[in-house]
Amino acid sequence: METIGIMGAGIGAGLAAIGAGMGIGRLAASSVESMARQPEASGDIRGAMILTAAFIEGVALLGEVVCLLIVFLK
Amino acid sequence: MPVRHLCLALLLALLPAAGAFAQHEQHSPQEPSHHGDTIAPAHGADTAAHADAAHADAHAPAAGAAHEAPKPADVIMHHVLDNHDWHITDYPAGKDASGHTVYKGLALHLPWILYSSRDGLVFSGDAHGLLERGYAVYHDHAYALKPGAEVAEHVDAHGTLHMDKEHWAHFQEEHIDKSVTLLDFSITKTSFQMLLVAVVMLIVFSAVARAYKRNPTGAPKGIQSMFEPFVVFIRDEIAKPYLRDRYAPFLPYLLTLFFFIWFSNLLGLMPFNSNIAGNISVTAALAVLSFLIINFNGSRDYWKHIFAPPGVPSALRFTLMPVVEVIGVFTKPFALMIRLFANITAGHFMVLSLVSLIFILGKNGESLGGALGALPLSLIFTFAIFFLEMIVALIQAYIFTLLTAVFLGMAMESHDHDHGHAHGQDAAHEHAHGGAAH
Repeated sequence: METIGIMGAGIGAGLAAIGAGMGIGRLAASSVESMARQPEASGDIRGAMILTAAFIEGVALLGEVVCLLIVFLK
Repeated sequence: MPVRHLCLALLLALLPAAGAFAQHEQHSPQEPSHHGDTIAPAHGADTAAHADAAHADAHAPAAGAAHEAPKPADVIMHHVLDNHDWHITDYPAGKDASGHTVYKGLALHLPWILYSSRDGLVFSGDAHGLLERGYAVYHDHAYALKPGAEVAEHVDAHGTLHMDKEHWAHFQEEHIDKSVTLLDFSITKTSFQMLLVAVVMLIVFSAVARAYKRNPTGAPKGIQSMFEPFVVFIRDEIAKPYLRDRYAPFLPYLLTLFFFIWFSNLLGLMPFNSNIAGNISVTAALAVLSFLIINFNGSRDYWKHIFAPPGVPSALRFTLMPVVEVIGVFTKPFALMIRLFANITAGHFMVLSLVSLIFILGKNGESLGGALGALPLSLIFTFAIFFLEMIVALIQAYIFTLLTAVFLGMAMESHDHDHGHAHGQDAAHEHAHGGAAH
């Protein structure tokens, strides 16, 4: 049972990483595209990008921390 | 000038004060009655037993490396967690009778400061001192012993209890006084390093401030020119856009936040240092500060948007929305706390795991080929991750400061309610509400 729990934590960590990767990937793709279209707005776009990336990352990290807790509190 | 002298004096005073508690981790068997002179006569019997324990343990728990392989997970956790010792390294210090290498630890013992409901303030340089006062240390936590408890047989050379989990459960029943409330105010590794960061910041920024005082209009020079771009960046890119014309009173807080997080992250990346922001208590304290500043500066509209959000159907307005919004008030600082903590801890985990690869593939020194094979791999990856972490140190400081400013700006904002839906006014508003939903 314990092994399954640890396996679950590993799978969960991977899923959280996939989610964050997809989210930040889409975010970066469209920001870079916008910057290419409108180079004069790159500063603002970059700021908004980092801010949003931080939010996406925050959720992913929450998932990772939960997975870590599963391993440590087994 | 006097400020600089004061800071230097502080720094110098701080180091020996902590250094006074530095001792050799292990008491060599040649001096078995190390604290025979300080122990109470009533514990005379303990002393002998204690000396025996010290002798027996000289090659058992601390020097376990000689016999059983240390697990990478334990080493990593030991590094990441806070501790009452600032443990720097173990070094081989001769061999014992059976030919095994005995390791000594090079560590700075930081003082234990406990508040106990039984004895009031308890102060001790190390775990031995705590034992004499009736408190025992197990896995870096202090416990109050029952009066007259005989625990010497479980005590190792460090003065801490040493036993496995099953014994510990039994030991707790027998010897630990659970009616005593213990509060631990000790200066631990993390808090000691936070003080170090504070002193470094005091020295650096008083030098910068003095340079501006001496030469208010000229071009910056020296250390001033290193920090001016950062200060200007925080002011122009974070404070002004989000706090608008009310940025001035909050700029010192934002700058302190930014530089404290950045400095402590960088200090944590240096060898022998702990990860300050990788301790959730530290990030929680920072998040609580931000929480208080945000909410105490909330405008009428901020509270109105929480308890009676405009533009929402009245069925939801006083039922579901206040609940969601009140949760949102707490999730914002909570996310700040988790984000910083998890980023810094994850970085330390990664670096240490990659270093551990050498020991895993080298089977702890048994397989030279494995170790040599893993070495270049581990070196390259560690190098790359290390530089990534140096960027993360800066980015996380930036993000924590930025989000504090964004939330604060949202809370201080006064709306002119000529628009039906108050949301989605500007990018910051939009994003922050997105964040609140997480």
